[in-house]
Amino acid sequence: MKLLGRTNLYYITFSLLTYIVIAGSFYVLVERMIYQEVEERLRVERRDFETYVRVHGVWEESCYFVEDKISLVSVSDTLDVLPAFKDTLLDNRYNRQLIPFREHTFYSAVNGGLYKVSIRKSLIESRSLLQSITITMLITLSIGLVLLYLFQRRFSKILWRPFYQTLAKAKAFDVSDGSALELGTEPIFEFNELNSELEKMTAKISRDYKNLKEFTENASHEIQTPLAMINSRVEELIQDRDVAPLQMAWIQDIHESTLRLSRLNQALLLLAKIENGQFYERESVDINALIKNKLVSFEEIFNLKGINVTLEERVTLISQMNAVLADVLFTNLLNNAVKHNVSKGNIAITVDTDRFVIENTGDELKIDPQLLFERFRKVKQSSNSLGLGLAIVKKICDVHKFHIAYTASANVHTISITLLQGSTKDQ
Amino acid sequence: MKILLIEDERVLAESITSHLSKEGFIVEVAFSYNAAVEKVNLYAYDCVVVDINLPDGTGFDIVEMLKKIKASSGIIIISARDALEDRIRSLEIGSDDYLTKPFHLSELNARVKAILRRRHFGGNNEISYNEIRVNYNTRRVFVGDREIFLSRKEYDLLLYFMSNVDIALTKASMAEHLWGDNMDSADSFDILYSHIKNLRRKLTDAGSNEYIHSIYGIGYKFGSH
Repeated sequence: MKLLGRTNLYYITFSLLTYIVIAGSFYVLVERMIYQEVEERLRVERRDFETYVRVHGVWEESCYFVEDKISLVSVSDTLDVLPAFKDTLLDNRYNRQLIPFREHTFYSAVNGGLYKVSIRKSLIESRSLLQSITITMLITLSIGLVLLYLFQRRFSKILWRPFYQTLAKAKAFDVSDGSALELGTEPIFEFNELNSELEKMTAKISRDYKNLKEFTENASHEIQTPLAMINSRVEELIQDRDVAPLQMAWIQDIHESTLRLSRLNQALLLLAKIENGQFYERESVDINALIKNKLVSFEEIFNLKGINVTLEERVTLISQMNAVLADVLFTNLLNNAVKHNVSKGNIAITVDTDRFVIENTGDELKIDPQLLFERFRKVKQSSNSLGLGLAIVKKICDVHKFHIAYTASANVHTISITLLQGSTKDQ
Repeated sequence: MKILLIEDERVLAESITSHLSKEGFIVEVAFSYNAAVEKVNLYAYDCVVVDINLPDGTGFDIVEMLKKIKASSGIIIISARDALEDRIRSLEIGSDDYLTKPFHLSELNARVKAILRRRHFGGNNEISYNEIRVNYNTRRVFVGDREIFLSRKEYDLLLYFMSNVDIALTKASMAEHLWGDNMDSADSFDILYSHIKNLRRKLTDAGSNEYIHSIYGIGYKFGSH
């Protein structure tokens, strides 16, 4: 749920509750005031009645004719406790309709007899007064409520705008971009603090990331030089005729390990460079031509292993790519297809409108093929391969925003690379 | 033939010097940019092998200086950086070749010889070893008077052998010479073996002596003994 939605919800709930409580208590209050007023008048009339009876000694109905207001009922005793005031409904004199009355009852001696006297006063005007007061109040309150809600909504939006701007910028933050967030200052203290903290944090992240990248690259460079020295010394030793065969075998081991280390280092360096965005130039690369070119340079190895290669060109695929990386991509893909192939196996390459697919026969895969895109992940841990080929392939696909998928069935492995929309051209 | 090696890593410089000296080159070494500047201004060299990263300057500046003083030396840049821009720049400013560290000494040797061949033997485009003659302009190979026909890889292999006579060549250096980084080493050794077998057969069939010797576990050596 959004922040503004949530504050609005709380606000509405709270306002409605307040509204109901205020309306309810207002109603009760007004009603009580009306009752007090009516009861006060009834008491006044009781005094009038008692004065009249004391002066005249009798009570005449005709004194009051407006309404059925005072009624006397002869009683023998005063044992029943009479409620001082109560509500009652009486028939209207003209149309048979029950009308609410407030009734004041008491005992009184009139003309020597004992009577229960009831003085009643119609509540109908008071009721309508209460009604109109209540309705007016409800309307006023509702209008106030709606206005407050709209006002609050508008203000929240204005108030939180810097927050949402910051949020949008933070979302767009890309660490590989190399630059920290620039958020500027805000008049509101908290947002200002948030912005400056975010700026500091992203600056540190960017700096650390950059340092790490540079470190990887520099370390790789620094490793190359001693490797070159070891290699050259070993090669000199190999020229030496006096070395005993056993020692020569050791030297050979050193030589091979150094070369492997150097290849490993170069592969890591390549990965670091791709990540550093050093291969940013793009040009139109003819994928078909590149594949055919690569197939020629792999021909010897295909012949050696008896691998049958088919190339199906449904279209001529032109893609905006870095030429160096495109070359590395297909070298690695073909190397992979050869390395994990079986003797006298097949490689089938298909170039389609928006993608190219490389299928090769091979042993059944015991692990999730997606894992093979990770660095140093190998099917056979002991194998001679560096375990970086597919990691480089994946990285190259990432920088070109290609989608790569690796699927493996019983003995066919498929790598499918889908290109960006609009980067292709039909023949 | 005089070669100037500009390289600040002493161990590497020593290895390169001793390897190239065995090939009959006179090698002088400059360990710093300033020493190199002094030498190129005083003496003439047939070939200059220069490292890009020097403690007190860059190899590019030395190449530019050589071009400015119109030195006729061949230039090979060696660098630990395998960046494409560096390669392009070094060729643009007029160097002849670019090698990335670590490299095989035999590879450097072959490249130096290739450059010297291109620069010095204007009329004579042949190299020969006893009865084997290679014309590297027409890419024709003769054993005595008989021409033999080699595949592209066999030809490259023979030339590599003839540039490194009596030097033990590792399989790795030969594979790299033939295919660069393109091929997986395990596979390339098998292909290398079949190429050498074919080359050997073609040479001996045409009446050549057996010059290609296997060295167990290491590779091959081309020579008379």
